[in-house]
Amino acid sequence: MIRLAKLCLLALAAGVWAATAATDTARLPAAQLQKAVRSDSISIPTPGELFAALEKPGKTNWSAQYREPIPMTYRNRAQIALNLGGLVADGFIAVEAKDSQQVKNIGSDIIKLAKALGVSEKLLSRSSSINEFAENNEWDTLQEELEATQNEVKSSMRSHADQDLVILVTLGGWIRGTQVVTEAIMQDYDERSAKVLRQPALVRFMQSKIDAISPELRGEPLVKDVSEQLGEIQKLVSFPPGRAPTVDEVRKVNEAVDRAMTEIESKELPK
Amino acid sequence: MKRCLPIFISLCTLGMSIGVRAETDTEVRARKEALEVAGAFSNDGFKVRDGHWCGMLMPHEHALVAVNLYAGNHYWFSAAAAEPVKKIAVSVYDETGKQVPTESYNNGEKAAAGFSVANSGQYYVSVDLVEGEQGSFCLVYSYK
Repeated sequence: MIRLAKLCLLALAAGVWAATAATDTARLPAAQLQKAVRSDSISIPTPGELFAALEKPGKTNWSAQYREPIPMTYRNRAQIALNLGGLVADGFIAVEAKDSQQVKNIGSDIIKLAKALGVSEKLLSRSSSINEFAENNEWDTLQEELEATQNEVKSSMRSHADQDLVILVTLGGWIRGTQVVTEAIMQDYDERSAKVLRQPALVRFMQSKIDAISPELRGEPLVKDVSEQLGEIQKLVSFPPGRAPTVDEVRKVNEAVDRAMTEIESKELPK
Repeated sequence: MKRCLPIFISLCTLGMSIGVRAETDTEVRARKEALEVAGAFSNDGFKVRDGHWCGMLMPHEHALVAVNLYAGNHYWFSAAAAEPVKKIAVSVYDETGKQVPTESYNNGEKAAAGFSVANSGQYYVSVDLVEGEQGSFCLVYSYK
């Protein structure tokens, strides 16, 4: 009740918020920008943000973006982490499609892969929350729950000295999200939607995080391959500000992330 | 009530999360306050992202974080600080460092800045100490 009262007060305050356009032309020097903090928990957007932007110009056929269920029996921890991220992105797709059965199926798969990595048993309660919210069609809450689940998996990894795997979860989610978004844009091209693909700094940041993981993990064939492909993807998403990529440019991004995703899903690891 | 649930979940996660470094009590308090500011935007359909950035505000220094935003989305960046900070401000800069015009909310140790993104890419959010002495702050953001 107290919380609600506080929210009401804030809402009232909103009435007197000044819409203050920044009329001055303040500018921060490049040296200062370089020192800015960059962190996984705030600098890397969630699949939910990407999908929200994609949908602005018009409805997206989310159920057309489903993929076949992926194997649950990977033995390589890096591959499990990458696929876990991809599954979280799938969860967001199912939420966008408002498909409760699909959400439940993916929620169950997320828990299976998370357990394979030895993350906290507390995640089991997340699984039942996801099922409950899906049954009650609480889509906004489900999206929050998926984000919280992903963050809890990452927190558990950090506490188990698996810090290096965290960026792989994030990367897997971004690759799967980009695969879906590029497919959706190609199916129904709209310049406004296509503009979401411009993310060179984001890809550069993920690449820098991968460069910082242990040499052993970085040297694993799958991680090495995906990292190399990321360099190529970075070039493909470096459009000039304000210009929407053409259908052909979107296709090129799609082909690149498709290749990476196929390798991530495959039971045959690269040698 | 449903609108409050995401905030509740975020607060619960706050209690459970194990970050790279442990948050201080004042950062936790600042984060709770920042989430309450962000919660007000939930009434307009904004979703609070489950992530945050906490740190120390110093006089005459920008506390600056890089974020990656998508064209078409509208964002609100909400921050709160703990005593002895008296007043803060939030501002946004584009990838070249040029300040972006925003709507703003300022209420002493709480502040927020919101804008619609025209071009996808990297932006920088600055939290500044306007009045008071150095102290902890926390920033969260919401989008729709």
